[in-house]
Amino acid sequence: MKPKKINKIRMRETLVSYAFLAPALLFFVVFVLVPMGMGVVTSFFRYNMKGISFTGLSNYITMFQDEVWQKSLVNTLLLVVGSVPLTVLFSLFVAALTYEKNPIARSFFRCVFFLPVVTGTVAVTVVWKWIYDPLNGILNWMLKSANLIERNIMWTGDKKYALWAILIILITTSVGQPIILYIASLGNVPKDYVEAAQVDGANDLQVFWKIKWPSLLPTTLYIVVITTINSFQCFSLIQLLTSGGPNYRTTTIMYYLYETAFKRFEYGYANAMGVILALIIGVISFIQFKALGSDVEY
Amino acid sequence: MKKKTKPIDMVGMLFLLVLSVIFIFPFYWILTGAFKSQKVTVKLPPEWWPLEPTMENFQKLFQNPALQWLYNSVFIAGLTLLIVCLTAAMAGYVLAKKRFYGDKLLFSVFVFAMALPKQVILVPLMKLVSFMGIHDTSWAIILPLCGWPFGIFLMKQFSENVPTELLEAAKIDGSGEILTFSNIVLPIVKPGIGALAIFTFINTWNDYFMQLVMLNSRTRLTISLGVATLQQEFSTNYGVIMAGAALAAVPIVTVFLLFQNYFTQGITMGAVKG
Amino acid sequence: MKKMVSLGLVMAVTASALAGCGGGGGNTPADTTAATTAAADSNDAGQTEAGAKEDQAEANTPDGGAVEITWWAFPTFAQDGDNPAGTYEQEIIDAFQSKNPDITVKLETIDFTSGPEKITAAIEAGTVCDVLFDAPGRIISYAQNGKLVALDDMFTDDFVKDVDNEALLNSCKSGDSYYMYPISTAAFCMAVSKNALEDAGAMDCINQEGDRTWTTEQFEEMMGKLYDKGYMGATVYCSGQGGDQGIRAFVTNLYNSSVTDDAVTTYTINDEGGVKAMTKIKEWVDKGWMLNGSAYNGGEDVDQFVAGNTAFTTLWSPGLASQRAETLEENGIEVIALPFPSEDGVPALEYLVNGFCVFDNGDDAKAEASKKFIDFICNDEEWGPKDVVKTSVFPVRQSMGNLYPGNEEMGFYASLTKYYSPYYNTIPGFAEMRTYWFPMLQAVLNGDSEPQAALDDFVAKANQSIENAK
Repeated sequence: MKPKKINKIRMRETLVSYAFLAPALLFFVVFVLVPMGMGVVTSFFRYNMKGISFTGLSNYITMFQDEVWQKSLVNTLLLVVGSVPLTVLFSLFVAALTYEKNPIARSFFRCVFFLPVVTGTVAVTVVWKWIYDPLNGILNWMLKSANLIERNIMWTGDKKYALWAILIILITTSVGQPIILYIASLGNVPKDYVEAAQVDGANDLQVFWKIKWPSLLPTTLYIVVITTINSFQCFSLIQLLTSGGPNYRTTTIMYYLYETAFKRFEYGYANAMGVILALIIGVISFIQFKALGSDVEY
Repeated sequence: MKKKTKPIDMVGMLFLLVLSVIFIFPFYWILTGAFKSQKVTVKLPPEWWPLEPTMENFQKLFQNPALQWLYNSVFIAGLTLLIVCLTAAMAGYVLAKKRFYGDKLLFSVFVFAMALPKQVILVPLMKLVSFMGIHDTSWAIILPLCGWPFGIFLMKQFSENVPTELLEAAKIDGSGEILTFSNIVLPIVKPGIGALAIFTFINTWNDYFMQLVMLNSRTRLTISLGVATLQQEFSTNYGVIMAGAALAAVPIVTVFLLFQNYFTQGITMGAVKG
Repeated sequence: MKKMVSLGLVMAVTASALAGCGGGGGNTPADTTAATTAAADSNDAGQTEAGAKEDQAEANTPDGGAVEITWWAFPTFAQDGDNPAGTYEQEIIDAFQSKNPDITVKLETIDFTSGPEKITAAIEAGTVCDVLFDAPGRIISYAQNGKLVALDDMFTDDFVKDVDNEALLNSCKSGDSYYMYPISTAAFCMAVSKNALEDAGAMDCINQEGDRTWTTEQFEEMMGKLYDKGYMGATVYCSGQGGDQGIRAFVTNLYNSSVTDDAVTTYTINDEGGVKAMTKIKEWVDKGWMLNGSAYNGGEDVDQFVAGNTAFTTLWSPGLASQRAETLEENGIEVIALPFPSEDGVPALEYLVNGFCVFDNGDDAKAEASKKFIDFICNDEEWGPKDVVKTSVFPVRQSMGNLYPGNEEMGFYASLTKYYSPYYNTIPGFAEMRTYWFPMLQAVLNGDSEPQAALDDFVAKANQSIENAK
């Protein structure tokens, strides 16, 4: 930087700004940046209960040969790919149906769909575990009574259903916020535009696609990003419901990382997984911003 | 909008109501399950309503320090909320309204870090926390969560709304930086702080992973962890587990229902730039 | 100026944090102590344990004065009636403290599902307990990682002579030193519901005489009869991690396989017998004789059994029998405990050993106090035998004699001692091996892999885990 360009006013602003930033930065540096640095560094070490020794890239090499890692990567991506579009569509659908309703109906539905969020992840998970219980659960009983199935299905233990069982809970606990957001943004679409389009003979679909959707883009981007991050973080559902089974079908990266660190004591390897996961999320968020954010001012 | 009710709307409404049942049912099942005896919880066909409500689940629940768990959760979420709101408001303001060396870089770093799951830095974070001697205390959750830059991001978005002219006028009047912040900026971004408060509270409350790794002692658990522990100890004795889940869920659901307008406003404002 | 101070503060904290990182890697005992001490000092004022703070501060005075130790206990001691976990443990503590007023013991109860991970986290964080009540599987892996205090001085000649069981003593050892002080032991076995068997006319399939040994053939016949009468056999539970030894013993006994070789140096469960057993189990599950237990953990399997939903369980022990006695009575179910069925009718049983270890928290005073406490629990004239009975199994000390006089059922459990198989829970990498076991079962039961391939894969990974841990 050229010293000439440092003008006094900006210098003063800089000092003031950092004073304001100091408390936040303090927390950020100590509890995010430093551990992140430590994580990256130790990912190049064989680091377990016995001690720590430098092994270069071997954790990363192991990872790419590790079948369970590959499975957990696939499962995590499946959860993301499953939950993000479903969450967006579902919440858009609910919002579109409710935003023009009278305030009471609107707030009723907002409450209903937000309920799982405030109930708390753990409370929701334990009750679903009961609902899914193969022998004592209400789900099998209802399906059997309705003659939809013959034998009890082991929802969380059957390879065909386990990931779906997780996905359903994941979605019920993540649509609350998107629905509220979409109701608000749909309410913000200028009414005269919509009316003008209708006068011009546009049908509902055209109105939605040409007029409403563009103004929903920023909200959609936001929803996509937070849902993606949320789905990547899916952990408690797995730990409390399936322990990653059957045969690693619901092992997510996060769960595998936890298991590696706390059941197999391989901290260095777990940190290497963390680094890769961070890179994956970084790349995906970047793509999402680029793809959806091109017309979005943020 | 004046529109005639179309048949498709009716179908949609019906569909919505069916979906609502799926969303309400788990909560209903927690509340009623908490009052069912073990025998009733595994009975099929189920008792839709506890015909012989029992308090035994709550007796078993309160043999554990369940109220302490609840208190711990409130303490952790409350204190995190206070610290985050204050530090993020200050940081967000300068990031939005001041041009200084490193501002762009800093903001990019914050945004990148925001996308990271906390779990990624789990083991180092635990090392750090134990080095500070706060492992197995509430601070082991509070302090790391205060480092999460989401609040800064949010408050920056809000602070963009503060009219620059106002700030300049204040400067001309000779108002100091701190006064400007507290008298001009804070009142304008107040709704944003409300939104952030709600966000932080819910997220901290639900942050099971961090709690799992950081807390050991039975008296130090949060209610989420406590309920998870109950599930492990009572495995399929669902009544007791539901009693715990009810204790975890009911306070926060009540607050939500009472103040739902604040919640929705907060959430809306948090995401959609005004 | 203020701003510079804040900036400086950031730097300082960062620097010290980084230093902590470097120091932490070495895992020196001194480090751990520092962390423990600091933990005590910065005790969260928001918590309600203002009193604890003073206690802990006191505990850290090096010599003389009072010592405070912490004890973490898995739910191994049975509680009276409806008492919550930890009640009996607290009684022991009270008795000990009244005899040793200079030592304070703080109790923390943990459960089998998340407990092991909690211990790991606490070891890494330096907040682990002083005394742990557990079993060799985990304890010896902590010892192998250098986290424990050697207890050689507690293994007096008297004690060794009194135990007089080399296999059992070896299970307490890592290298040449003892790390676990055993209190009680018993074989794991299985159990059937008398009600279901009688109803299905399958009582003649089991043997109620002597040691109640029986053959795989009889077992198969029993399951067939149960199925015909509409009973579900048992769940082949394979979720979570707890109780995995039950299913392992079930698999190995069916057709005379074994988990490891006799010298316990390599895994051998992929032999002919192991493969045949897995093939059979898969067949039984497909026929509906047993339930694919991919959604059940060990505890839930036992729950299903005592609730009468399944007719037998492969996870049973005297301890479980006493813990579940009340529920069984409520449900009116009568249980018959049996050894695992085997081809030749001679079972090879796994056994549990309950015992204590002391974590090396870098404080001799604490270590000494911990040993004193363990000695009290196991060897106090009044409390020793009482404690053994509370674990519902048999004393390792022969001199304690029969603690269950006139109890026929306990007599049966005691008779199983002669079928003990080589103890492999102290093999290096045991903890890692366990993480591969249930996924293997899940793979077979869900039809992802053939038994042979799945077992080969399991053995390869398990053998690798031995290497990894060296």
